[in-house]
Amino acid sequence: MESSELARFEAVVLPHLDAAYTLARYLTRHDHDAEDVVQEACLRALKYFDGFRGAEERSARAWFLAIVRNAAYTWRRRGRGEALATEFDEREHSDAVAGEHPEAELLRSSAKESLGRALDRLPPEFREVIVLRELQGLSYKEISDVAGVPVGTVMSRLSRARMRLQEALQDEEAG
Amino acid sequence: MAHPSFEAQLDMYLDGELAAGDARELEAHVAQCPECARFRDARLALRAALQARAPAFPASDTLRERVRAAVRAAAPARASRPFGARILWRALALAASVAIVALGSWRLGQERAAGDTVTDEVLASHVRSLMPGHLTDVVSSEQHTVKPWFNGKLDFSPPVYDFAGSGFPLMGGRLDYLGGRPVAALVYGRRQHLIKRGHAAGLSPAAVEDAGLRVLGRLRFGDGGARRFRAAGATGGPLAFISCHATPRFSVGSCR
Repeated sequence: MESSELARFEAVVLPHLDAAYTLARYLTRHDHDAEDVVQEACLRALKYFDGFRGAEERSARAWFLAIVRNAAYTWRRRGRGEALATEFDEREHSDAVAGEHPEAELLRSSAKESLGRALDRLPPEFREVIVLRELQGLSYKEISDVAGVPVGTVMSRLSRARMRLQEALQDEEAG
Repeated sequence: MAHPSFEAQLDMYLDGELAAGDARELEAHVAQCPECARFRDARLALRAALQARAPAFPASDTLRERVRAAVRAAAPARASRPFGARILWRALALAASVAIVALGSWRLGQERAAGDTVTDEVLASHVRSLMPGHLTDVVSSEQHTVKPWFNGKLDFSPPVYDFAGSGFPLMGGRLDYLGGRPVAALVYGRRQHLIKRGHAAGLSPAAVEDAGLRVLGRLRFGDGGARRFRAAGATGGPLAFISCHATPRFSVGSCR
């Protein structure tokens, strides 16, 4: 690789290393795994760099975080993932608009849980939209690019995740 | 859940995704709707709690170093690719030292101080040319592709000097500007995409003269680095400048 191209790659990718590590840490939940995921993502980004068009910083962030996100999910599929064995199911893990699905009741812990624990217990597809929106400040469009789902899905996942987290917060405050 | 349709809008509003007109309408509604106001307040409380208690995790210095090392170790593997237009483009965009002198109606044949405004302009244009994608607008080793490319962009037809005999074939051209005047810049370089450090022979005065140009002056920008400049002009012909890169590539610019 020509040295200027390597420099360009580093200039595009390295500013987003903190965001990458944050996302990986929330998806893998352990420091070492998150570091491995980030490194793997950087090598993949290097490989895919030719396909990256656009110098604007925001789109670079979404492009790179999509790679980090996929690297984290690959890591999960390799079996070193969470104890939560249930596959993500949009219907099952979402609450109905009017009233609750019975399954949703089962999924929710009967014990009151703290906000942090509730965030941890969200299925990763819910957790990532919260992290990307609330902690990283990505737009709906950018989150949609990172997660590979339509903007409408991003919005409904945010809504469900926020409802779950709000309940936990209210439980906390109720003592 | 009260007002579910407003709640979706409220989320968009709080996320900064609602258009201004809709946002104003929503604000007006919330101002007189206690349930929606409660919903909004609960969302804001959640956001505050998340930002206070769900940490962002910065990448450690160790991780940064690990990543840098891994990327640099992997990068050379990408160098061996077929020689094609894309590689040519990248090769042309190699970082380089600057060496530019402009001649012409301004002054001839004198060594010039680096602060000279004309040379500053030429320097600026050269630095621009080093940015990725700016070295050439047209990539071709064929004169009959490069020369007509300037039609309609310049009011003169630029001479295409031939340095191939000296081992520097044409690589492409670009439009540039100097003192507000359009300039045709032609880029020449060695036809090797692997350049060994320390073995890159640059443009010699003999090569300049073989191409029909006369070396008229030279500028050196001194900063301790090996920065050499050649100035050249064609007697009786359009005036030219040559900017030499640290690697064996150079641009020859001509203007009316």
